[in-house]
Amino acid sequence: MTRINWLHVSTILLVAGATSACVNSRVVDSRQASTGINEGEGIVVMAKSYHLGNETEEDYIQCVENSLSRGRAGLRVIPHRDFVDSLFPWFEPRTAPTETKHLPQLMEHPGVKELLAKEQIRYIVWLDGDTERVAGGGSLSCAAGPTGGGCFGFAWWQNDADYEASVWDLDELESAGTVTTDVSGTSFLPALVVPIPLIARTQSKACKALATTLRDFIDPLDDSA
Amino acid sequence: MSRLKNFIRQFVIASVVVLVAGCGSAVTLEPVTIPRPLIDPIPATVGLRMPENFHHYVHEEEVLGSEEWSINLGAANAELFTQLYGHMFDRVVLLSDDDNPDEHDLDALIEPAIEAFEFSVPNQSKTKSFAVWIRYRITVYDNNGDVVADWPVSAYGKSQKESVSGPKALQRAAVLAMRDAAALMIMKLDQAAGISGLAADRRGETTPPDTETDTQLESEPEAQTSQLGATAGDEN
Repeated sequence: MTRINWLHVSTILLVAGATSACVNSRVVDSRQASTGINEGEGIVVMAKSYHLGNETEEDYIQCVENSLSRGRAGLRVIPHRDFVDSLFPWFEPRTAPTETKHLPQLMEHPGVKELLAKEQIRYIVWLDGDTERVAGGGSLSCAAGPTGGGCFGFAWWQNDADYEASVWDLDELESAGTVTTDVSGTSFLPALVVPIPLIARTQSKACKALATTLRDFIDPLDDSA
Repeated sequence: MSRLKNFIRQFVIASVVVLVAGCGSAVTLEPVTIPRPLIDPIPATVGLRMPENFHHYVHEEEVLGSEEWSINLGAANAELFTQLYGHMFDRVVLLSDDDNPDEHDLDALIEPAIEAFEFSVPNQSKTKSFAVWIRYRITVYDNNGDVVADWPVSAYGKSQKESVSGPKALQRAAVLAMRDAAALMIMKLDQAAGISGLAADRRGETTPPDTETDTQLESEPEAQTSQLGATAGDEN
C-alpha cells in the first residue's frame, strides 16, 4: 500500500498551480521619429488627463517611473507630481496639452521653456489605459466551528492590462511614437481546507514589459541594459 | 444578576456605537497650498471679500443610505483664493464684511462663493475612483460698485482608491478639484471679468480692442461649465 506523502502532493499542487496562473503579454512599438537621450537629460511619465476619461492608476505610473530609472541603463526620471507642481498650472488635467501641436503654445507661457531647459527634460511619456477585471467565476465557501475551520471550492478571475505610452520629444516638439502593451492574466484560488492563491501579476507584468520596451525605444543606442 | 444585566446593557450600547461609527467616514483637509503659477501677474489692485463659510466649510452627505461622509474643508477655500489671487494680481487687499472697498483704491472687488459641493465614492460610480465637484461663483465689481462679471467656475478632481485609503483618496480628489478651479481662474478670469481692462481704464491707459476676448466674455465660461458638467456626468 502506498502511503500518501502530503509534502509531495502539496509541492506538485503548488508547481502545477504556479504554472497555471498564466499571463499572456504583447508589447508593440510604433516609431514616428528617431530618438536618443544625452547624458543629464531626463524624462517625465504622466497619465493622460482624467478630464478625457483616462483611468491610469497612480501606482502604475509610479511602477513605470521606478522601472525606467532602475539599473545601469536607468534613465533620469523626474517624479510626475514634482513636474506638474513646478509647471503649475500648465500640466493640470484641465490644461495639459493633448496633442503635440499644442506644444509651441505651451512654450510661450512665461517661464515654461526656461524651466524645461533648466531641468533638461527631453521627453514626456503620456500613459493611457488601465487594468480591469474582465471575467471571473467559481465558488468558494469557508466555515469555522469549535474544532477548527476551513474553505472548500474554486474561484478564478481574469484581468486585462491595456496601456499605451505616447512619447513626446520636447526638443523637436513632435511625437516620437508609441509603445503599447496588452497583458492578460488569469488567477486561481483553489481551496481544500486551506485556500492556495495563485495570482497572476497582470499589472506588474504590464508595467515591466512597457518600461523595458520604452527604455529601448527612448535610448536605442544604449546596450548596457 | 444586576451586574450581569449592566454588563449586557453596556455591551449592547458599545456594539451599537461601534457599528454606527463604522458606517461613517470623516475627511479633514489639510491646509491647501498651490504652487506658484508660471504666469505674469495682472497689473491691478483687487479687493477680495470671502464669505464666512470659506473659513470653515463642512459638507455632510449620506451615500446610498448606508455610509455617512463628512468632509471638512476647514479654511482650505480661504487659503486657496488668498494664495491664488496673491499670485494672479499685483496687489490684493483682503476685506471683511465691515470694510469699505472705497477706502482702498481698488480697480475691482472680487467676491467668490461656493454654490455647490458634490462627491462620489467608488460604490456609486462603479469605478475605482473618488470624485469631487465644486462649483464656485465669482462676482466681480468695478470701482463704482457695479457688477461687471458673475461667473460660475465648475471644478473637478478625481483620485483612485488603490494606492491610498478611501478618506485619503477623497481628500486628494478635493485638493485636485481646488487646483482645477485655480487653473481655470488663471486661464479665464481676466477674459470673463476684464479686470486688467478696468485697471487700465482707471490709469487712463487705452486698451486695444480685443474682439476675441469680447466674444469669449459671453460664451466661454458657460461653455467651460457645460463641458465640465458633461465630463462629470460621464464619470458617474
